[in-house]
Amino acid sequence: MDDFEPSVVAFLCNWCSYAGADLAGTSRLKYPANVRPIRVMCSGRVDPVFVMEALKEGIDGVLVAGCHPGDCHYQSGNYKTNRKIKLIKRLLSDLNVDPGRVRFEYISASEGQKFADTVTDFVAQLKEMGPNPLKEGCK
Amino acid sequence: MEGLILVKDGDIASGCNELFKTFLTSGKLEAILVSQETPNGKMAFPALISDPEKLRSNILSPILPVSEASEISRMTINKGSDKPVGVVIRPCQVRALTEIVKLNQANLENIVVISMDCPGTMDVNTFSNLPEGKVPTDIIMDHLLKGTDIDQYLRSSCRTCKDPVPMNADITIGLFGVDLGSGFLVQAHTESGERLLEGVKLEAYKGEREKAIAKVRGGKDAKREAFISSKKEIKGIEAIADFYDKCVNCHNCMNACPICYCKECIFHSSVFDSDANKYVHRAKNKGIMKMPDGALLFHITRMNHMILSCVECGLCEQACPSNIPLMDLLIPVAENAQRELDYYPGKDPDEKLPMVVFREDEYRSVGEK
Repeated sequence: MDDFEPSVVAFLCNWCSYAGADLAGTSRLKYPANVRPIRVMCSGRVDPVFVMEALKEGIDGVLVAGCHPGDCHYQSGNYKTNRKIKLIKRLLSDLNVDPGRVRFEYISASEGQKFADTVTDFVAQLKEMGPNPLKEGCK
Repeated sequence: MEGLILVKDGDIASGCNELFKTFLTSGKLEAILVSQETPNGKMAFPALISDPEKLRSNILSPILPVSEASEISRMTINKGSDKPVGVVIRPCQVRALTEIVKLNQANLENIVVISMDCPGTMDVNTFSNLPEGKVPTDIIMDHLLKGTDIDQYLRSSCRTCKDPVPMNADITIGLFGVDLGSGFLVQAHTESGERLLEGVKLEAYKGEREKAIAKVRGGKDAKREAFISSKKEIKGIEAIADFYDKCVNCHNCMNACPICYCKECIFHSSVFDSDANKYVHRAKNKGIMKMPDGALLFHITRMNHMILSCVECGLCEQACPSNIPLMDLLIPVAENAQRELDYYPGKDPDEKLPMVVFREDEYRSVGEK
């Protein structure tokens, strides 16, 4: 499985994590190119359906990143995301899909390094897990 | 306030019907929503009744064709009632009502909730196609009086019901732990319940209700546990996909569900539509694409959206034209999810929904691998 390159969708909050990813870029930090960022206005906007659709279509991992506790532009969106992700992970493990395919992180606008580290770590973890079983077939 | 209402010949249904009539004739209620059998006795539907003469309710009739909670939502979502209206609904529907009030989909102003100990309900088809000579109410009475096993008739969610005794009702009609040959028990739990029972002749109750309830609960809990552990094999994405194989995308389960309330469902929107090129692109992704492709995503998303409030009424399963045993998957998943977030749907009207509150000190899933 050495040549397996996982594909990752990252839902990044507009106010913190997207700027953090931007900083990683402008700082010329190195991180795997497997990640496809999608900017959302708040991590709270990430409906479970987005995560499920991505996994169903064969994406190997979904990263959701939002502001640090207390920093949410909309006061509490990130706390609610935390709960939502907890529920999604619970559901995934009940359905016997590895809940590790979904990850939630707090990444601020100044944490370009954290974004790069998170992506590097997540991609390495997904490489170990192997491809999403939903990649094949017509289910 | 509690007490027995005596009835002749053990005719509980008529006794309750008479009680409801007095609520209407005394003017304490403007109208009452209660399940009423159709004239041929093959079906029963909730009906909103204002004329006491039209009242032919049978609370023992073991059927729940539609969500009563949804009907209360339909009535009150825009504006609550100005005058008291009674609703006679099953315990699972009281729990559903509690949940949809939290979701701002119903207004309980001037609504008096009357509920009863519930021996269970039959599937609509079982109910209307019983063998010649079998009367649904008699089957239930037999069960209540002699303890005959009626599981063969019941819907699976009723066989494994987690709360056959109502919580959060204004008035409970007690059937468990009561000598049904002579009458039934009524209990008022709130002020509006007591107001309704004022002037009703009540005899002192001396039965062992708590014990009887514990026995019913014990039996159901054992069945529920056995049910959940027997469903362990529906795991893994292949098994889940097989499970929903028969789904024809009719969305009946969603329409029947008291909790699924969005007026504009994402699955009825054009979010997932795209042009031919995109479809071909998606087909190329895996080399093959099922059309329509939404069934699995629909069910998993639906699960994700309402699982924490699922009261396990089983109406989704009853509504499924392909007879997919939806509760086989929903009950174990709901059990786990509700335990994870420490939430019991329908129990505490003042407890907020788990997805609208948070504690600042809970960051457990952050960075979790």
